Amino acid sequence: MEGETEEELRARTERKVKKAAQLLFFRQHRIPGVKGWELKKALGDDYMEVIGVLNSALDKLGMEVKRISEAGEGGEGEGEDKGKGDKRAERDRFMIVLKSPVIEKASGERIDNVAMLSATLAYIISKQGKATRKAVETFLSAKFPKQRIFFALDRYIKQGYVGEADKVLYIGWRTRAEVDRKALLDLILAS
Amino acid sequence: MGNYKNPGKQMKFDELFRLLNFCKTIQTEGTDPFDLDVKKFLETLKRYHKTKKWKSLDDLLLDAEAIAELAKIIELQGKWIKDRSSSFYIDPVLLELKLKMLEPQQLATAFFNSWHPIIAMDRITPQRLKEGLAYWNALLPLGARNDEFPFPSAIESTFGIEDLIELNILSKTEFDYSIKAVLNDLEARGRIEYHDFIYGDAFETSIKKAYLTSYLVNEGKAELDINPLEEEVFISPSNTNVNAKADHTQGRSIPVSLSYEDWLRWKGKQKRN
Repeated sequence: MEGETEEELRARTERKVKKAAQLLFFRQHRIPGVKGWELKKALGDDYMEVIGVLNSALDKLGMEVKRISEAGEGGEGEGEDKGKGDKRAERDRFMIVLKSPVIEKASGERIDNVAMLSATLAYIISKQGKATRKAVETFLSAKFPKQRIFFALDRYIKQGYVGEADKVLYIGWRTRAEVDRKALLDLILAS
Repeated sequence: MGNYKNPGKQMKFDELFRLLNFCKTIQTEGTDPFDLDVKKFLETLKRYHKTKKWKSLDDLLLDAEAIAELAKIIELQGKWIKDRSSSFYIDPVLLELKLKMLEPQQLATAFFNSWHPIIAMDRITPQRLKEGLAYWNALLPLGARNDEFPFPSAIESTFGIEDLIELNILSKTEFDYSIKAVLNDLEARGRIEYHDFIYGDAFETSIKKAYLTSYLVNEGKAELDINPLEEEVFISPSNTNVNAKADHTQGRSIPVSLSYEDWLRWKGKQKRN
């Protein structure tokens, strides 16, 4: 803003960063995080810069703002012109995630449920991102009782880790936000 | 495809049908699309063209079907290459084998080491509590809500403003003018008890005003504020005209009773004051 002193500018940025943190930390919808357009509405046109400042503050705490595209892969499109990039950012969802998986336990899930989720995700990823529910159930039934598999898959769908359409399972929004899929496959192969 | 039942002709089309079936198998079973030799497929088609001189509708349909199936296979081949060149590609058979060999503990560890959980908190704000209370107050008892979803046959038809305009009972300009007049009155009087705003010297004009006011509330130009403890309803001009439409989409119905007896009581009270 014209005629704004450095101090005023700093105060304004701090105010915006605080607001961005509140928007991102506290759930506004069923799915955590907020859409780019919501951030733009609340923070102004320079919301991406505000997110950048927030990101550097979160970095010290081992967290980061992650941008997820609704359609599939996240992140900014390389070589994309600014106007297109802006429009895409408005459609994308922003959420705060733990930057590095350093803490020992961040979930109350039973170990076998996590194992089943891990195997399900790896299986679906290896099948080009989608597999029939029947194929996943058959695959998991080698190690887990069928009844448990049925409930576990329903739960993963409800939690957003897995999506389901016409009895075909695919990678859900939550896996795209939370799981480093390449690392998961590498770790499984290296085990 | 009646023509192809002719034994002589069927002999000629056998290879083509076999290729078509193979294309369909690749699509349904997800096998390697490169198992089909595209060049050979095109050469076969070309050969049929040369020797048979396809002319009938069935011939042409078969030709179109073959080209369509081939296009689908080429599309699958492109997808296959893209997928294999991505960083996520690992031979599914190898991974399946590996997954079967691992213990649940190892699988869980791999997951935790690649997991960056979302950090999100839920908090009930005073504003949200207020909205919850307003919702509770406006909610009818369960028994009374059965009428909320009547059977289609039981739906009573009512005249809307559009019907009245269409029947020339009311003109759009007249209606807009009346709405504007009520809005001006409300803006002049500010926040006021709903009945004090609606009721006037005549019961008929009061009902008309209530009808017009409902449009103002519906369009977000006026706001109703209910005080459940005192059983009072206040109306005020809306401050948020910009978001009026958006807010309206999440709105709710607020029934406010008006009756001749009530109007008489109000009139008596006014005289006493």
